Amino acid sequence: MKAEAAARGGNGAARPLARASLAVEPGAESIPASRCPRCERLCAPPARFCPDDGTAMARTALPAHGEIVSFTTLYSPPTGFASPLHMALVELPGGAKFFCHGAGTRGLRPGKRVSIEAVDQVYYFSTLGLAERAALFWRRRGAPVTERLSGFARSAAKRLVRRS
Amino acid sequence: MPSPPAARAGGIVSDVYIGGAAMTRIGRREESLPDLMAEAARAALRDAELDRPDALIVSAMNPEEFVGEGNFASHVGTHVGLARVPSLRAETATSSGAAALFAAFAAVAAGLHRTVLVVGGEKMTHLDTPRVSELIGRSIDAYERSYGATMPALAALVTRAWMARTGATLRDISLVAVKNHENGARNPLAHFQMRVPLETVLDSRLVADPLRLFHCCPISDGAAAVVVQAAPGPVRIAGIGQGSDYLPLRYRDDFTGFRATRDAAQAAYRMAGFGPERVEVAELHDAFTPFELISMEDTGLAPAGKAARLVAQGETALDGRLPVNPSGGLKARGHPLGGTGVAQVVELYWQLTGQATGRQVTARVGLAQSIGGLATSNWVTLLEAA
Repeated sequence: MKAEAAARGGNGAARPLARASLAVEPGAESIPASRCPRCERLCAPPARFCPDDGTAMARTALPAHGEIVSFTTLYSPPTGFASPLHMALVELPGGAKFFCHGAGTRGLRPGKRVSIEAVDQVYYFSTLGLAERAALFWRRRGAPVTERLSGFARSAAKRLVRRS
Repeated sequence: MPSPPAARAGGIVSDVYIGGAAMTRIGRREESLPDLMAEAARAALRDAELDRPDALIVSAMNPEEFVGEGNFASHVGTHVGLARVPSLRAETATSSGAAALFAAFAAVAAGLHRTVLVVGGEKMTHLDTPRVSELIGRSIDAYERSYGATMPALAALVTRAWMARTGATLRDISLVAVKNHENGARNPLAHFQMRVPLETVLDSRLVADPLRLFHCCPISDGAAAVVVQAAPGPVRIAGIGQGSDYLPLRYRDDFTGFRATRDAAQAAYRMAGFGPERVEVAELHDAFTPFELISMEDTGLAPAGKAARLVAQGETALDGRLPVNPSGGLKARGHPLGGTGVAQVVELYWQLTGQATGRQVTARVGLAQSIGGLATSNWVTLLEAA
């Protein structure tokens, strides 16, 4: 059953993420997810029922890092989003894939490792240093300056906590 | 000769034929959607020399919001003068036309009806582009939509992953646009009847990296219709199959193709009793030009990772070994959502009966492939000259 689930994770034994530790370290950023008690499939964010067998899923959390599956920059985003809009599909430990935003896609390629963090319930992927992180929050559309600054401050604070 | 019913794979009770086909000019149209559907429906009935079908099956993806009409099968039934004919609407997002054909096929194969009129269409150009994108985008998973995902965004994610795996290039996906515009220029019903040089495609503005404007199909109005019947007609529906996939892109495992197409193709080939080697012409769902290449591989018309090379070598051009999208495809003929799956079959009907003036190819077997949503409900239909 587990082997089947790993195969369905699409990543098979050959992909390191399928076997990576799913443990979230205390205090570390995590991504809410769900696991099917029957086939072990993971969904992020959590789904009520397993899309494969309809079993009620159990809540879990996954480490907030992974590998880029694909990414794009949208130049005509829907109303409410600033252009250009960078988005990526990231494969998390365990094989679940996760949709998130980012500050840019320069130097990005499928397979690249990124970390993910949530700010105001929106998830961002990054390979970024502090300066680029500042740029990310500066661009947030519609947000007053104070909110942009506090978003950046929270992001930076999380980083420091994680390092210590 | 078709094998006797008892021996047939796929459970077909009896053979099913297409007795007539027609479509409107696709593009920016002033007429109402019911008027466009009536134009196609009446012409198809005339072509089949049929007065009154046993049933009417209508396909439109979202007439409630595009044109503000509900109960649309009854609406069309009354409008075309078939008010007392049993009618229903089939809907699987952008592949609704193929779903309608399937429903008609099933009804005739099961012996429930002798003749079914299928008419599909959409009208969108009266709305502005952001609104059209928003309405089409509702077929995307709500969570992914909350991150700003649109159809081009998801198509770009799939395209980049597919390109990384196969080594296909920007030039490869651009050559599809050049070919389909070349074909569209020969189709008097196409939305775009102009040739487009490679440079224009490569230089067009970015929509969702790596997809540029000329990799994307237009927003179109139009309708198409066929008569599906039990009596032997010019073209037989040899096989038809559907495949489904997860609504969220993030649930999928494989970005080298679309599982829904692979499953649909497998079901259609099984029913037909033959494989891709007999297909001589294809109409594929090139809503985004890389999808034509991906679809060639998913349907087995090209080996995995080799579709781009076939296009570059001219094998899928009108005079090639396997012409793909002789109509111009969604890219040049246009994509009136609920009409497209039917329009593909109309083109193949014309190709298989020698009526595709200006773009006629030599073929006895054709394949149509239609993608619903971001490949969540796909169809493959095999047609054979009777």
